[in-house]
Amino acid sequence: MTTTPVISIRNLTKTYQMGEVAVHALRSVSLDINAGEFVTVIGPSGSGKSTLMHILGCLDQPTSGQYLLNGKDVSHLSDDEVSSVRNSKIGFVFQGFNLLTRTSALENVELPLLYSGTPVSASERRSRAMAALESVGLGSRHEHHTNQLSGGQQQRVAIARALLNNPSILLADEPTGNLDSRTSVEVMDIFQSLKEERGITIVLITHEHDVAAYGSRIVAFKDGVIVSDELNEQRRAARNELADLPVPVAETA
Amino acid sequence: MALKTSWMISLKALRRNKLQTALTMIGMTIGVATVLTMIALGSGAQAAIQDQVKAAGMNLIIVKAGNYQLQQERAPDDAIENGAVDPESQPLNRWSDGVYKAGERRMRAAFFHPEDDPFAVHDHPTSRQRLGDAEAGLGAAATLTIADADAIRKIGGVQYVSEGIHENAHVAYGGQRWFTRMHGDDVSMPKIKRAWVFTHGGYFSKRQETNSEQVVVLGSIVAEKLFGKDNPVGKTVTMWNQPFKVEGVISSSNWMVSPAAGDDEFDAVYIPVTTVQKLLNLSKLNDITITTESTGNVTRVSKDITDLLRGRHNIAFKTPDDFQVISQARKALTGGGMQADMQRSVMGNAAGLEKVTLEQLGKTLDRASATMTALLASIATVSLIVGGIGIMNIMLLSVTERTREIGIRRAVGARAQDVLLQFLLESITLSVAGGLLGIAIGFAVSLFVSRILQWSTQISPLSVALSFGVSAAVGIFFGYYPAKQASQVLPIASLKYE
Repeated sequence: MTTTPVISIRNLTKTYQMGEVAVHALRSVSLDINAGEFVTVIGPSGSGKSTLMHILGCLDQPTSGQYLLNGKDVSHLSDDEVSSVRNSKIGFVFQGFNLLTRTSALENVELPLLYSGTPVSASERRSRAMAALESVGLGSRHEHHTNQLSGGQQQRVAIARALLNNPSILLADEPTGNLDSRTSVEVMDIFQSLKEERGITIVLITHEHDVAAYGSRIVAFKDGVIVSDELNEQRRAARNELADLPVPVAETA
Repeated sequence: MALKTSWMISLKALRRNKLQTALTMIGMTIGVATVLTMIALGSGAQAAIQDQVKAAGMNLIIVKAGNYQLQQERAPDDAIENGAVDPESQPLNRWSDGVYKAGERRMRAAFFHPEDDPFAVHDHPTSRQRLGDAEAGLGAAATLTIADADAIRKIGGVQYVSEGIHENAHVAYGGQRWFTRMHGDDVSMPKIKRAWVFTHGGYFSKRQETNSEQVVVLGSIVAEKLFGKDNPVGKTVTMWNQPFKVEGVISSSNWMVSPAAGDDEFDAVYIPVTTVQKLLNLSKLNDITITTESTGNVTRVSKDITDLLRGRHNIAFKTPDDFQVISQARKALTGGGMQADMQRSVMGNAAGLEKVTLEQLGKTLDRASATMTALLASIATVSLIVGGIGIMNIMLLSVTERTREIGIRRAVGARAQDVLLQFLLESITLSVAGGLLGIAIGFAVSLFVSRILQWSTQISPLSVALSFGVSAAVGIFFGYYPAKQASQVLPIASLKYE
């Protein structure tokens, strides 16, 4: 491998102090993820996969160890610097969608641009947000408030928001946890096409093996350590599955 | 991040949280409206008290040309009264014959005055020696000029100044003639005479005065005699065979003073003083009328006027004034048909008495005002603190309620200071908007109170500026703590929050 990995973690440790008990969420984890990979991280509850995601997403900092994002150590930056990294390098998709309520889809997608280091004009914000919404197939629903959208649509708005600043990595934490099976496949289709067509690096966290099977590489966690890390030879292809699924009842907006 | 963007974010957040916005704003609105209404009522009451004192003429000073006081001090006047016991029985009568016929009674009496005894030897100067013949005649001298009045206008504490020339004149219109008082005055006269109301038209203007135009304002009695019930404004009356255009008609706004034929105010006509000087070829004034801004200033201003005029008239040290400064209180003390000797003895003490009463009155008023202001200020402070604590409580609650929102913002790249700024701007916007609404409501309430309850209210620009400034300050002060709390929410914790 000649190119620098997008994510490179070395001996990452995270220990929480819960009262008198020290919880070792991560125990000296090392992992490299290359550009364009679709890595699914799987493991049961409490295996440390969510903690890993928080550290990868710069939402939390490791107790010890090193985290290089695009070759730059981001594990011990100041709050302002970390915020800037989150804004420009990382896109988040959460299980609970985490959209602003009583706010239109468009304004939700615009959000990262409001906090970007260089000021972006209102018209540019709007056009870029519209483009992102159209790329997830929701251009016609940009005026809808989040509570007027279905779960799948909300997750697509979240994906559009995550992609707005062209991040280096897209982090997804149980993105299909709150969705029915068909919309889950639809969302996975979006992730797969992002990897295939735009070469975006994706790290997806799940506890379901079905969902993990969509990734190109599967990393299994247990008790804060990696138990297996292998390329996925039998990748599920969401697009083919969608074609086979019965046509759904038309979604009411 | 630009302040504009932060503000936009705050506005959107406020729009999203309508209940929080409404509750917070109501608190602030009520606070500011209360403050403004309180101040309006309080200063209205203060102004009403001041007005009543001023309307009583306590702040009025009149400078008269000549000094009649000198005559009163002249010994011969005393001598007549003291000496005229039984003039016919006095054996010395016949000696006076060859000395001074016209004032025989006086000369006769003079013999009985110790100071006028030509053979007496005194160890102090006699009144005649003190005054000298020339000075003794100053009582009738016209010494005041418009330039004097202009100089008085520059004295600190002086509110309005009007020159005055008073004559009697025939005013004619059509076939009607009326003999009345003519006052040559300055444009500020209606402000000095607070109880005037214009039934038609208005007073002459500054420009008309400067140009010595032939314009006249009629007292209501004159207007009635010449025009009956017709509106005289725009008509031309004649005085001294000169045409005068009628500008307005004045009447009394006070039910206690009803215009009557023969009075000096409403059976009278008013002409610019410059016009009178030009037409009658005069250069002097009969008097100058002055009002002071504060009643407590009357004595000080009177003294300043005296010093100023003595300087302007080049009156040497120890030489008596060639004018007389009379304040309303002095006039009241000596007026009203008081016996002459009583009047004189009162006058001797008047200066001291006047000083004490006016200064005390002024000081009492000032003290009352200060107490009132302190009271209002404490009420204002309390209600604004209550409003501010309201803002703080609701903002703190909303920080807890909006942890998730803060987390989302932090996750997409908002820095701690961005969140701080957003929450701070929210509370400032709320308090300022609430404050503005409060100012509007305060205005409305004050208007309502003064219209319906007939209480006097006064909203000064200062109190509006103060309320606005304080509401903004409250927004910053009480908004900072919740905003700080919001900015310290960890991005990770907020995402777990459900």
